[in-house]
Amino acid sequence: MEIIYLIFILFLSGAIATFLLGKVSKRLRDIAFITTLVVPSVLFFTQINIGQTVDFSVLGIHLSWGITNFSYIFAYIVLGLGVLAGIYAVAAMKGKENLGFFFFNYILSIMAMMGILFSRDLISFFVFWEIMTWSSYLMVVFTGKDVQKVGIKYFIFSAIGAYAMLMAIVITYSLTGSMMISNLIFAFPDFEFGMQILIPVLLLIGFGVKSAMMPLHVWAVGSYSHSPMAYTAVFSGALSKMGIYGMIIVMAGLVSRIPEGYWFREVIAWMGAITAVGGTLWAVAQDDAKKMLAYSSVAQLGYIIIGIAIGTPLAMLASLFMAILHGMFKGTLFMAVGAIEKQTGTTNFTEVTGLIRKMPFTFLASLMSIIALAGIPPLGGFIGKWMLYESVIGSNHYLLIIVIFFSSTAAFLYCYKFLFGFFLGQEEKEWAHVKEAPAMMVVPMVILAIGTFIFGVFPGLILNPIDAGLQELGYAVTQGRYWEMSVLFNEWGDTVVLQPILYTILAVFVFFLAFVLTKNFKKTRYVSTKDISSSGEIPKEHENLTFSRGFFQPFLRSVEPLMRRKIDPYYNSFGRGMEAIFDFVRRIYTGNGQTYALYVVVFALLLLIFKDRLWG
Amino acid sequence: MDLLTNILGAIATIILAFVVGMSYGGIVRKITARVHNRLGPPWYQNFIDAYKLFGKTTAIHHGWMQIMGPAFLMVSSVVTLMFVPVLNNGGWFTNLNFKGDLIFLLYLMVFGPLGMALGAGQTGNPNSAIGVTRGLSQMVGFEIPWVMALVALMIQFNTTTITGLMDVQQMSGTWLMFSSPFAFIAAVLAMLGMFRYSPFDIVGAPTELASGPVSENGGKFLFTMMSSGSIFSFVKLTLYVDLFMGGADNLIILLIKTFSIYMIPVLYGIVSPRYRTEQAIRFFWGWPLFFGILAILYAAIF
Repeated sequence: MEIIYLIFILFLSGAIATFLLGKVSKRLRDIAFITTLVVPSVLFFTQINIGQTVDFSVLGIHLSWGITNFSYIFAYIVLGLGVLAGIYAVAAMKGKENLGFFFFNYILSIMAMMGILFSRDLISFFVFWEIMTWSSYLMVVFTGKDVQKVGIKYFIFSAIGAYAMLMAIVITYSLTGSMMISNLIFAFPDFEFGMQILIPVLLLIGFGVKSAMMPLHVWAVGSYSHSPMAYTAVFSGALSKMGIYGMIIVMAGLVSRIPEGYWFREVIAWMGAITAVGGTLWAVAQDDAKKMLAYSSVAQLGYIIIGIAIGTPLAMLASLFMAILHGMFKGTLFMAVGAIEKQTGTTNFTEVTGLIRKMPFTFLASLMSIIALAGIPPLGGFIGKWMLYESVIGSNHYLLIIVIFFSSTAAFLYCYKFLFGFFLGQEEKEWAHVKEAPAMMVVPMVILAIGTFIFGVFPGLILNPIDAGLQELGYAVTQGRYWEMSVLFNEWGDTVVLQPILYTILAVFVFFLAFVLTKNFKKTRYVSTKDISSSGEIPKEHENLTFSRGFFQPFLRSVEPLMRRKIDPYYNSFGRGMEAIFDFVRRIYTGNGQTYALYVVVFALLLLIFKDRLWG
Repeated sequence: MDLLTNILGAIATIILAFVVGMSYGGIVRKITARVHNRLGPPWYQNFIDAYKLFGKTTAIHHGWMQIMGPAFLMVSSVVTLMFVPVLNNGGWFTNLNFKGDLIFLLYLMVFGPLGMALGAGQTGNPNSAIGVTRGLSQMVGFEIPWVMALVALMIQFNTTTITGLMDVQQMSGTWLMFSSPFAFIAAVLAMLGMFRYSPFDIVGAPTELASGPVSENGGKFLFTMMSSGSIFSFVKLTLYVDLFMGGADNLIILLIKTFSIYMIPVLYGIVSPRYRTEQAIRFFWGWPLFFGILAILYAAIF
């Protein structure tokens, strides 16, 4: 049997087995869950060759599954994060009810994402896309809180995206007579102008919803913060990347092949930039860690979209690199929030403080992820940011670069807020009992955090598969021109050499750490955070010195005009308008026979009046 | 042998930056005092302070992050110093000049303040955290005109490296200050915020925040922070000289140029009261932003 079928059969049967075993024994269920994630992943990375395809027919429709160099990049994200977050999920969700259902959906999401990556035809692509949407929808409403508000929003936007995509698929079929993605790409330049615009737009609506592109992002914050954190790590880290995956195919395969592509790209790039700025500013304003990270995800995907829209080889490298890194560090951060939620019961910065000594490993993982998120060398986030800036400057987008820089500088604010709000600041008695999260939760976080470090110094490790994938999309070889194992180049040949930088940083850091510590450091003693000089006075035990409310008040005050623009009211008024129309339509059916008779007469009259126009 | 020369050169650069930065700090204190019609401390007062702090032993600490804070700050200053060319012909001071570019440098320069902010956060002093939030907010403010100025230079001369921009000036014989004047104006206005003299001294804010992030730090901690601050201001001044004033051929010219550009934020600061945080942020989104846009237009058109 083909290994490709086996992987999907394993996923499906594993999901069902996990669900059923949940009724028998909790331990068995957990083991089944992990096995279902690990075994297909191992099979995938060892047994599947790139380029291997299987063809079969269902109900007369020709379907084709296979993996390409390009989808392999995303498979790293999906399976890597899927397995690690899965291990985390077992410990994080312990003691919750209805876990069989949770694990079932989790596996189904992973399977659906792999299915999307395997699909070479639009029908299976769409089917897997819907499975992914449904399983993630069930996760969003899993906790049962605000189902009306959050769940419906996600559902409506997903439905809009799905219908747009379906329409594009139908149009493609009617034009080419084939469902193959490769045929669409091949035939696209010969389509008439209207179709050349309509198909990408419809597809981008579908993908834009999943990757939370402005103005289709409104579902994201609620959904990310309402699903269990163990799943949000995958939701934000991997599932949103499926939108990116599709978007790259549309931009590189379709849009770049038509002469109007330039303006198309500009519009998408600016939408990405607005997404990035808006997401960042709103993230700074949040007091809840989940919402903050959700907004931050929206913003980070904005950067990735900018890179895709610019579409130069360097920009594509940047986007794909950032996509992988975002999966890693945002996955870690959502897991860290989940750990804090499990240990303290809240994720609000204004409630929890001073966890650094209680949860040191969670802090370490968060710290490294935050450094990667902020894009500070020598961690991985920097590579993606650097490449993006260089590509934006190199492709003459002068105002775009300022907008991106503004948003990534403002990102430092929420980065600091995350670390300070949870881990630093006054240590309060209320949280004195808090312990470090279980090892099964900490280890995946630390592994991912160390990964960001390694990829920060040796970006070639991931740029290599990305390069292979890009060549498949029609780009020239980038190795040696834009990057080597640990050297980066921009379009003008300027370099960043990463290894000496790392060694210098480490050397100076160790030297000054030693410098501060030497000479009777043993005599120094630890004192509590109450033992400080607050304006020359020693604060009393009962005095509250926690600083967490209105954290960036002055900053928010100064960017207030930017934040007044919100898309939600427009959607709401659109919704109300639609309701009014529906209400009017309902009134047509009065239930009175006389009115219906009148309608018939009016209709007949109208026919008579426009008789000449209609049959003339 | 090569490695040894590099390390010795790096140490020489650090000592130079430390001595020059500290002396400038002392001279600024003297100048400020004279403008205020006071006598003021001698110019070498900073060295005395540093020596005193260096000699003190540390009695208490608030945890590991606080200990790592000063080290992070020093990493940022020293590593940035390694990337900024001190003299035109390099020589002993070449260090890592050719290994990174301006965008890398921009990110490296925030590494220290953020690490320091974490250290300040662990002390639990609310004033420290307030200072940090102000500092970060202000950074978002001045980063915009500063980046605009740099981007204008980059697109005008198609290079993102400092050495590349210095070569441009060597070739043409004119300073970038004259060949791209708007970028220089935007950069100088951004510099006011970067050096944190009045009216932008909202981070330390002596009477409001009791020196902000550095409170709770004494002895070697404060010594490290103080030296790092001195080195960092030397780095920033040298960067300005390299970018806009054609670099320096020898140390004397370097001192003259850096000192004259240093006087801009200092003299502007001496006679100014302090801004509120939002005023300080918005200042940079007014005229500095305008000049930044002009700089980019100028660079894009010519």
